[in-house]
Amino acid sequence: MSPRRAVLVVLGAACLLAAAAAPAGAVTFTIPSGASDQCLECHAKPDLGTVNVNGVEKSLTVSEDAWHSSMHSRLDCTACHAGFQPREHTPEETQGWYQQAKLTACSDCHASEFKMYDKSFHGNLVMNEGSKEAPACGDCHGSHGIIDPTSAEFRESVPEVCGRCHGEKSETYLDTYHGKSVRMGSLSRAVCTDCHGSHEILPESDPHSMVSSQNVVATCGKCHENANSRFASFLVHVDRSTPHSSLWVWLMEINHAVLIGVLFTLGGLHCLLYFYRGLREGMYHRG
Amino acid sequence: MASADSGIRSEVAVQEPAARVAQAAVGARTHFRRFTSFQRWVHFFIMISFSILVLTGMPLKYSDQAWAQRWMGIIGGVQNAGMIHRFAAMIMVTCVICMLGYFGVILIRSRGRFWGPGTMVPNRQDYRDLKAMAGWFVGATPYPRLELDRYAYYEKGEFWAASAGVTIMCVTGAILWYPEVAAQYLPGIVINFALVNHSGGALLAMGFVVVFWHFFHAHLRPEAFPMDKAMYNGGLPLEEYAHERPLEYERRVREGTLDEVLIAPLSPRRMKFENVLWWIITGAALFLWVVFSLFVVWVTYNWLISF
Repeated sequence: MSPRRAVLVVLGAACLLAAAAAPAGAVTFTIPSGASDQCLECHAKPDLGTVNVNGVEKSLTVSEDAWHSSMHSRLDCTACHAGFQPREHTPEETQGWYQQAKLTACSDCHASEFKMYDKSFHGNLVMNEGSKEAPACGDCHGSHGIIDPTSAEFRESVPEVCGRCHGEKSETYLDTYHGKSVRMGSLSRAVCTDCHGSHEILPESDPHSMVSSQNVVATCGKCHENANSRFASFLVHVDRSTPHSSLWVWLMEINHAVLIGVLFTLGGLHCLLYFYRGLREGMYHRG
Repeated sequence: MASADSGIRSEVAVQEPAARVAQAAVGARTHFRRFTSFQRWVHFFIMISFSILVLTGMPLKYSDQAWAQRWMGIIGGVQNAGMIHRFAAMIMVTCVICMLGYFGVILIRSRGRFWGPGTMVPNRQDYRDLKAMAGWFVGATPYPRLELDRYAYYEKGEFWAASAGVTIMCVTGAILWYPEVAAQYLPGIVINFALVNHSGGALLAMGFVVVFWHFFHAHLRPEAFPMDKAMYNGGLPLEEYAHERPLEYERRVREGTLDEVLIAPLSPRRMKFENVLWWIITGAALFLWVVFSLFVVWVTYNWLISF
């Protein structure tokens, strides 16, 4: 081989290497198209399932429609499920992915969101304390049917999504003007994430939290221009049915129940008896 | 029903002592003016605004219900409903301000005396009337033909209940409309109180006005069925009024003030027009009554089974 030819070979090999290495870096669009269809050959079957490491039955079915209408439908399955081969998957592939890669699968592309999540209450529980209950990306965003988080559909679903774990909070929220309006389709009103944040979410006790005593006025002020600390002390999550949530609100609720009960009973009796006696004495068809 | 109604009236007229009537009727002014046009207009605007407030407010209170969501869609969503609700509230607040002015005029004219016969202030006679009616209701005593003055006990009760109700609804409504302004002067929990009271007060007002009190006494009460027309054409034949509210009639005869409240009846042409209007209003009222009654029954049922 002449030296000239050797240089050409080395250059060519370098180009090939660079081309092969590029997808591993960030964008994964170069994975051969058609691979997803190949996956769906098995995973579109409605009764595909397995038992995972925790002994829980898990469906392995991927809804074709949801997938094709999802935000990620342009990607290939292996963009997130890195390393999976188109055959019956080995335990090494599946367990490793389930425990760790389901987070890094997202962080490859969504690095800035992941950085915020990492420092959040949820992220700390999952990443540092190994919690299996605390939500990872997919628990809020969904996986195969993932939709645009800036869409109306996603916004509308926020109270339900948060409510899967924070049921009581979601219920008390739906009892406020914000919650009622959102449920009736007025999406300009505040949902959970507008006050609490999303990826960066922190508990009220943390000074950096959006709802901490230091920040809550500014958070209300995003919509309510002249909000002050008294305005921010409005009880958003108050359960009217129990004295433990807010004694005064509960007392007022009881007061109304008693008033309605007594007045409707007395008023109802007055009307019914008046009507009944009037009927019996033929007062409705005189003349 | 219209013919049956006039049948009742002529029979009543026959029963009435003729001398009493002849002495009182002056010229063509044979009718007793039950309500002034001011009072009737205020009533009209309160009726309209109240209905709008209920129809735009209730779906928000029951936002978890399918019917509420469907209805909210029909009226154009929360934002729209909120705008209509506030507009109707302004109509009602205007009515309240007008009435406050009206009370002021009454106070000045009576030189500070707002109680006594013919006023809204309850007295011992009202208590006796209520007792007599209660006896009849349970079948212990025969039908007491009440010797009423201008307002019956059930009208006075409704007046004060409605006054308290409208005050609460206006104050809490204003707080909910401008919560940031309210928080400049009051603690934040007041907004919670406003929510509870606006919501509970709405149900209370609706049940009371529509089902258990006002509709009954103005439409379904045996003496008024199917509708007391005085609130829309202002008057009723003098002999009839003397029969219904003898105390006020006799008082006015005694004091010589009967002439002040005598009016000529409507012309036959006007009467025909008003009768058409009457059928429309009565039809709408009965329709709303059925809808709202079913609603209140449903709410009460849900409330009971929640225990």
